[in-house]
Amino acid sequence: MLAPTPTASARGARTQGAICIKDVVKVYDPDRAAIMAVDHCTLDIAAGEICMIVGPSGCGKTTLLNAIAGFHSITSGEIYLDGELLCGPDKPMANPGPDRIVVFQNGALFPWKTNLENVAFGVVMQGKMRKKEAYEKARAMMADAGLSGTEHNYPGEVSSGLRRRVEIVRALMNDPKVLLFDEPYRALDSLTKSVMHEALLEIYYKNNVTIFFITHDLEEAIFLGHRLVIMTSRPCRPKQILDVDIPHPRDYSVLTTPRFRELMDQTIEAVHEEARKSFEAGEREG
Amino acid sequence: MFREHAASMQSRPSSEAEQLIVRLLKRTMPFQVISEGMLQSVAAVSRPFSYRAGEVIYRAGDKADDVYVVVSGAVDHLLSDTPTTVERNRVMHSGDVFGWAAVLGQDKRVRLATATCVETAEVIRINGAALIERLNDDPATAKVVMSRFATMITREFGAPAAAAQIVAPNRTVSDAPAAVPRPRGHATGLALTLYRISRWLRSPKPFLMLLGFALFLGFWYLSVQVWKLPRFREMPGLTTVFHEWFSKNPTYGLSFYTPEYYQDIWVSVRRVGIAFFLATALGVPLGLFLGWSRTFREYVFPVFEMLRPIPVLAWVPLAILMFSGSETPVIFLTFLASFFATALNTMLGVESIDESYTRAADCLGASKMQVFRHVIVPGAMPYIFTGLQISVGVAWFSLVAAEMVSGQFGLGYVINTSYTMVRYPTIGIGMITLGAVGYVTSALVRIVGDSMMQWRVRELALGGR
Ligand SMILES: Nc1ncnc2c1ncn2[C@@H]1O[C@H](COP(=O)(O)OP(=O)(O)O)[C@@H](O)[C@H]1O
Ligand SMILES: [Mg+2]
Repeated sequence: MLAPTPTASARGARTQGAICIKDVVKVYDPDRAAIMAVDHCTLDIAAGEICMIVGPSGCGKTTLLNAIAGFHSITSGEIYLDGELLCGPDKPMANPGPDRIVVFQNGALFPWKTNLENVAFGVVMQGKMRKKEAYEKARAMMADAGLSGTEHNYPGEVSSGLRRRVEIVRALMNDPKVLLFDEPYRALDSLTKSVMHEALLEIYYKNNVTIFFITHDLEEAIFLGHRLVIMTSRPCRPKQILDVDIPHPRDYSVLTTPRFRELMDQTIEAVHEEARKSFEAGEREG
Repeated sequence: MFREHAASMQSRPSSEAEQLIVRLLKRTMPFQVISEGMLQSVAAVSRPFSYRAGEVIYRAGDKADDVYVVVSGAVDHLLSDTPTTVERNRVMHSGDVFGWAAVLGQDKRVRLATATCVETAEVIRINGAALIERLNDDPATAKVVMSRFATMITREFGAPAAAAQIVAPNRTVSDAPAAVPRPRGHATGLALTLYRISRWLRSPKPFLMLLGFALFLGFWYLSVQVWKLPRFREMPGLTTVFHEWFSKNPTYGLSFYTPEYYQDIWVSVRRVGIAFFLATALGVPLGLFLGWSRTFREYVFPVFEMLRPIPVLAWVPLAILMFSGSETPVIFLTFLASFFATALNTMLGVESIDESYTRAADCLGASKMQVFRHVIVPGAMPYIFTGLQISVGVAWFSLVAAEMVSGQFGLGYVINTSYTMVRYPTIGIGMITLGAVGYVTSALVRIVGDSMMQWRVRELALGGR
């Protein structure tokens, strides 16, 4: 199941999709409450890297993701994608676009479109392909991801695990440089989750797309990531960056290796400290 | 003892039918993870069966002996109502497993659900007791299979209490190697509808409905014509009304056999039709823009909210002053309340759309107009149709008020003039007709809504999985 192409396993095999976050600050409601969510955050993500973001609830992870995606402005700092400015002092809000696609926490497949129409949506809207062509490609990509037979179902008719996969395929259809995941597997039970992890890696080994992945599940973070960025409690900035030196391709057998346990212990310690701080500050989930 | 038995089982060359069963079991959630040898041994205690559409496979309360795996067709699974039941009804398709009461503890092996065949179904029945025995040959596998049963029960049926009786699920990730979710189809729409209708007919509901009507009509008859209760004495009696209604030569000039009857119905339906059409054509776009554009809303909504609570009757004088003739004021008055209901619900519909849908569309490169067309409009559709249901209702309500005040012909007019002309039975005819026609128009709106929102119908039919 996890058969990678020989070149695909190395990090950075891609040349596109490097994100550079420089001194980013985000203050919500600056005139009144002035909630500082991100504080001088600097982070470089290489092209083709799986970068896992962990941190206490409400620390500002989603805020950072939304800034990259272009859903809201930043107060100061700059974000670059492959050297091009997404947002900065003169342009506080990035334009959302198909080079950076978000996979949402609760899933955002359009329930009124069939899975096939959902997958074809992006390229049809951008006018990149005609409908017929787009459906053909969508069908092929779905087949590739083991989703044949669900093309004409509505998302509400298939299991939540399948829905997540359709959503990822919908994103990949646009050949994005970066996939942004905001705790996408939070609502899934551990069995489905384990399936989703392997499916995601399988997709990654084919595409090597840069992945920015927020999670609160440490096991998930170490299992999937090249690097683990542990955020401080609000306002967020990287507290510690951990290299996960377990070689890709990985499968579930790595969970039982001593190295995995070691990394797990290190992470738990760092995260626990921040979680306690944020708990004491009475932070709520955002 | 059965250890020997199982060993002999495995060495036996398995038949083609058993191979088929093994292949099928591999696709199901509980049996995905177990070894070929074990599957063979399970297949040996399995039997294929087929059921005709409509046949009951088992009922809640029956003794549970077998676990079922669907090979083809569709089976409806209806859990008994318990406080912990989240999702009562599910339709099972190829590869789904049900009848798990058979693997509960010995004294718990009683059906918690009723399973009925919807489309001709092929199933595999596995004896629960024998299954447990076979699995016990390999305790590690048994634990995984049982915990997968437990997961399935809590996740797919929302019956956590039952799951707890299986095993204390000790799930670690390594217990559950690659389980690839398999695509699933859906029961063909027609078969499902027919099945639902036949289930409705067999349930107590139609009788309750008839009983309700009988009680109502009985009370009418008895109170007016038999007991002659003080306040009811002047009212037209049941038999008088029906006699007049079905009379070829009605005393007061209105029955099934007079053209005037149909003319009045037609006039009212036409007025409601025009008013409803205008209310929809103007109310839906207004509501969409109110919901979509904050600036537009800040200008328009306060005026809208001030006009909305003014009752129809208060508009009557203005309507007569504004519009000439008798037709236009009536249509205007009928239109008003419908328009407000439609616009308001449409606006709420736009507001109800989850922000992540518009954000997803932005990510995927949709322009502002495309977001409007592909996200805002379809996303608001369920609320729009709720609004339209309300809108037809209030249209009939306002129509009758308007016809009574300033109309010619129409059912409201008939009811009002019958009162002033002392034609009491005709009042009864007018009212019942109004009820029936109103019901039909409302049903039409629902049917149109369902046909435009297949996604919603199918989602609801599956219990919103
Ligand atoms: N639109 C907003 N206006 C004001 N405060 C907000 C807004 N969105 C989020 N916040 C606050 O910013 C902080 C960070 O939120 P978020 O980025 O969602 O956290 P996380 O995703 O890490 O759980 C939280 O304290 C939250 O209450
Ligand atoms: Mg968040």
